[in-house]
Amino acid sequence: MARYTPPTQGKLGQIIDVIVLLIMAIGALYIPLWMGLAGSAVTSTAVENPTWESLGQNETMVAQWEKLGFADAASAAEMITARFDYSFSVGALLAMIVVIVGYYAILLRFSEKEYREVIAEKFEE
Amino acid sequence: MAQTDTTEHVGLARVLGPAHVWALGVGIVLVGEYMGWNFAVGKGGAYAALMACWFAGILYTCVAMIDSEVTSTVAAAGGQYTQAKHIVGPLMAFNVGLYLVFAYTMLEAANAITVGFLVDTVATMSGHEGGLDQRPFIILAIMFLAWLNYRGVLATLTFNLVITAIAFTAIIILFLSTSGILGVGEMNHAALMSGQAAMPYGWLGVLAAMHFGLWYYLGIEGTTQAAEEVRSPARALPFGTLAGVMTLAIAATLTWYVCAGLMPWEYLGQSGVPLFDAARLSGSTFLMVLLGIGTLFATLASANGCINDASRAWFAMGRDKYLPGWFGAVHPKYRTPYRAIIFLVPIALIFALGAPLDQVITFSILSGLLEYTFMPLNIILFRRKWPLDTIKRGYEHPFHPLPAMVLLGLCGLAFFAVFLGYGTQLVAMIVFYIVVSLWFHFWRYRFVNRGAQFTMPWPKPRGY
Amino acid sequence: MDLWDVLELAAWGASALFGLFIVIDWIRTDSTYSEDMLTSSREGELEAMTEESHRG
Repeated sequence: MARYTPPTQGKLGQIIDVIVLLIMAIGALYIPLWMGLAGSAVTSTAVENPTWESLGQNETMVAQWEKLGFADAASAAEMITARFDYSFSVGALLAMIVVIVGYYAILLRFSEKEYREVIAEKFEE
Repeated sequence: MAQTDTTEHVGLARVLGPAHVWALGVGIVLVGEYMGWNFAVGKGGAYAALMACWFAGILYTCVAMIDSEVTSTVAAAGGQYTQAKHIVGPLMAFNVGLYLVFAYTMLEAANAITVGFLVDTVATMSGHEGGLDQRPFIILAIMFLAWLNYRGVLATLTFNLVITAIAFTAIIILFLSTSGILGVGEMNHAALMSGQAAMPYGWLGVLAAMHFGLWYYLGIEGTTQAAEEVRSPARALPFGTLAGVMTLAIAATLTWYVCAGLMPWEYLGQSGVPLFDAARLSGSTFLMVLLGIGTLFATLASANGCINDASRAWFAMGRDKYLPGWFGAVHPKYRTPYRAIIFLVPIALIFALGAPLDQVITFSILSGLLEYTFMPLNIILFRRKWPLDTIKRGYEHPFHPLPAMVLLGLCGLAFFAVFLGYGTQLVAMIVFYIVVSLWFHFWRYRFVNRGAQFTMPWPKPRGY
Repeated sequence: MDLWDVLELAAWGASALFGLFIVIDWIRTDSTYSEDMLTSSREGELEAMTEESHRG
């Protein structure tokens, strides 16, 4: 088997490659952020005239809240009533599973192809 | 330093001992006890966070066992990247290299954000009016550590050893003085975790908490990046890594115990600096100052280790032309991959100054998770291509393939946990890796030498 | 202007200083040594080198 000789990459080509990679990477994090799709939904229920009791806090908890600098129930109400929304659709879950499994499948398939070349060249003698 | 006067060749300097490996591993992760882990409490309550902590502990024990076996055989800068290159194949290696760089660079950004937040908190407490501009402190943290890394690995990791030890001691002292072992106990677990506060989201909350449960240990696998700079990698790496996981399991449990016994879960789950808050609640100025310093040191140690690891991975990929070869340069005097270090500085800054903390953490966790999913595939193929009698391992992990299966299962759970809160990022990120993989396979790989990238003195793998 | 404003300025200054050091040293290194020498590190090469020095 003929040995593969890679071309040498010029300065400009190297710079372009780095820029392409950067655009893809920064895009991956910032696109969900810009589209406002990022993060899980946290909702706080507004409570009228909250008291420590109505927020379900016992004496010990109240003492610690006060030590932390929350003088009355109203100041801590938003923090206490904040809840995540864990509801999800089965469709979205399936889509995620397909994406992850598909990703690893592509990865292993292409890797295997490239790996056979590597081994063939390395151990050809 | 007798052999450094080579004029033709310049490589990384082999100067580190096992203590440095421990400092690199634990140093990166310990910050997880000072900030970030407590988001697991917000996700499912205090009990859920403890269960997540232990499940994550099992996950990382598997990671450490598998990683130690492969690393004790494949010892090169680049760590898991080099493992993947020799065992699974080039495309996998490229992806793993990127996981490493992103996991560490994002973690570095998260640390810098925390430094800014901590300085701001201290300024407000000391009576500073009108708020503080956090940006100069965030930038300073990154620039200082980049400079330290640039100047040489021995000083960098010795610095890490000292500040990590101080931060770890601070957690122990806080535990001893608040738990009642020394002096009066202030723990109120029963009262703080009763009624609705016990399991606010039920069992689904336990699952969801796995997401940030990883944060207790994330980064411990980075010890392998030091492989080319450790004096005896086959011994020091498994030892440093396994000792590191044990240290962290202890620190994580103590941290949970102290924080859950002092703060209502609603507060703890949203706190920026939970251990510092715990010290504030103890009412002792000494503890407050100590844990404030501990938080600062832990974040710096972590960012420091991250710069070290991310640059080694980036450098190793440049050296093999997986990335532009320009990055594969070593500084002739300081013996560090200086161009990789420089290049990653602006990237860390972009994310530290521009993105919210939980997003940055999620980006980091996801990259880590993809990497842990790769590990079971890696070890299964390793054992199949080179059975135990074909090459000598420095360390053989027991019960194969049980740890690989357990790890794969726990990774599945963690993916589901991330999906519950950050499904969009998860998909965006995997789409990114798919696009990048195609780019690599059809474009970038043409610059890579085929046979020469396989550098281990191993026999031909079975089945080829 | 209290202590914290001074610290802010100091942090800006120190960041610039560290950055400057890195950039100056980077330019000097790149212009002093040849590119071939700088990128001469190879994977696994160190292994061979240390083994040789052990034997020697």
